[in-house]
Formats: sequence, structure tokens, C-alpha cells
Amino acid sequence: MNPTQTGTPPTARSRTLTHPGPFNPVRIQSKRCAKSRHFRLKLQPGLSLFDALIKPLQNAGVGSASVTILGGYFDNLDYCVAPPDPTKSSVIAYTPPIAAGRGFMIFGNATVGKTADGSPIVHCHAALRTEAGDIKGGHIITQTCIVGSKGASALVTTLDGFELRVTFDAETNIALLQPQDQQVSRHE
Amino acid sequence: MNEVITSAVIESGSMGRVAYARIAPNEDLVQGIEKLCLAEGFKNAFVRGALGSLVDACLGTTSGQMRRIKGPAVEIVSLAGEVRTADDGSVCASLSGVVADTQGNVYGGPFVAGSNPICMTFEVTLEEWLPEVAGL
Repeated sequence: MNPTQTGTPPTARSRTLTHPGPFNPVRIQSKRCAKSRHFRLKLQPGLSLFDALIKPLQNAGVGSASVTILGGYFDNLDYCVAPPDPTKSSVIAYTPPIAAGRGFMIFGNATVGKTADGSPIVHCHAALRTEAGDIKGGHIITQTCIVGSKGASALVTTLDGFELRVTFDAETNIALLQPQDQQVSRHE
Repeated sequence: MNEVITSAVIESGSMGRVAYARIAPNEDLVQGIEKLCLAEGFKNAFVRGALGSLVDACLGTTSGQMRRIKGPAVEIVSLAGEVRTADDGSVCASLSGVVADTQGNVYGGPFVAGSNPICMTFEVTLEEWLPEVAGL
């Protein structure tokens, strides 16, 4: 690197937002495992994206994972976006589902974890082409997205030795997936 | 003129440990991933999965300028990248991806370090990359 550098500073700096809850001094919550298992998953036609992910992973004994959805046609796609929360309960709030209809999921990432009571949960964001031909992106409603007749492929990276569990986050005032030591609950 | 090659064109290696992190609001996306590598002791890593939201997104353009996408929240819908540690010990994440604004409109490009504050949460899975050491 040169000892000195010149250049134009950004015209607008990034914003720091105030959240409703107390500031948590721990800014990075992380866990690691010595090795992951990888699976290629064929998302089955006719299933919801949620079931197409969760059922085979449960059968394989996978409770927490990071999933790359490699793209595929869907008979139905629903997503939502996250504008500012008018109630100010938190900084943002998801909109009601936006129907994209029969479309193509271009690329998606999903995190598989557990709710507070141990039920499976999927957090998924993706870019997609809607039935009308628009390219959109956002938070995917996995329960109502239906895998198309040709199926779709996904790459699973398991998170072993710890788990992802939905836990209330006081700072943002919402429940979030967070890495934790393994727990045993009534659904497991 | 002879081209000076400063790093290996092809690098053999293997995948090592895997780390997952939740990075908190107002932390920078790029520097947050670099700090995650410091926290977990990863010198080199690839992003294996990532999603979350940004206050505003800032993406580099081919003309060397920056494009800012106003939130909140701007959703990260795709992210690829790697982290490398240089000989001087500095850690550098190079990340690119696709984001969606509050209308669902999408934009893509490289994330500008220091200019992509996380909005609510950012989830990332890194897989450690272990280059083969020459001569072993």
C-alpha cells in the first residue's frame, strides 16, 4: 500500500440507526465447527420450499444449516420487503406477502434453524423473476412458495456442534436466529 | 513488458473449519466479516451463505464511483466473496452481491468496505480455506 493516498471521499456517508432497545456490546455472535457436512438437495416438485428443505434435512439429522438455492422454476412465489416500521416498534417491519406468481428463483440463500420451542424454521432471501417478467428480490415466504415440476437444486452446508435458534433480541426488539450451544426441546 | 504476477494463478488447498455468525446492527458488512475471521482465527475463507439487511447499500460501479441504494432496509439477496490475509497480517474481505430495496427492486455489484451498515441482522457462514504450503 502507498504511504499516502488521495481520492474523493464518498459524497454521502452511511447512516447509523438508533434501535429501540439497549445496545448490546457483543456485536458479532459466532460459533464454529471443525468440519461441515455437505449435501446436494433436490427440491421436490409440488412441495412448498419450506417442506422441500426441511423434510429431507430432518431425515438426514440436520437441524441447522446454511443453504444455497441454485435456481429453479416455481409454481408460486411470494416475497416481502422491509420498509420502516410505522409503529416504531422496531426499525423496519416486513410488508404483507407480495405475490410474484409463477416465476423463477434466480438465486437464494436460506438459513435453517429452530424456533424457540424447537420447531424448524427457514430464513430465506432470494432474487427472482416474477410471472410478469420483473426482476425482484426480498424475504421469501417459504411456506407458500411451491417448487415447480422440474424441481430445483440446493447445496447444504451443515452447522454441527451448535445450533441456530430464534431468540428475542432486545436491541432490535425482534426475534432473530442466533448461534447457541445445543439444546434439547420437546420437538426434538 | 513482462507482466509481474504477484500471487499464484492457481492455488491448491482444502476446506477447513466452518463458522456461522450473526452480526449486529450498524456494524459494517465487509469489515464485520473481516472481524469474524479474526474472532475465529481464519486467515482465508470463502462465504458459503449469507443473508440479512442493510441500512443503506453502497455498491461500486465500473467507473470507480459508488451507487447508494437507500433503505432501510435494503435486503441482501445474494452474496459471494472471500477473505484473504496478506503478508502484513491485514485481513481483506472482497464481497459482491445483489440487494433489493424497499420496493423489491434489485441492484448488484461489489460492496464498498465501510459503507454498508447492517440494519437488523446479518447471518453469514464462512468456510475456512487452507492453501497448500509450497514444498510440503
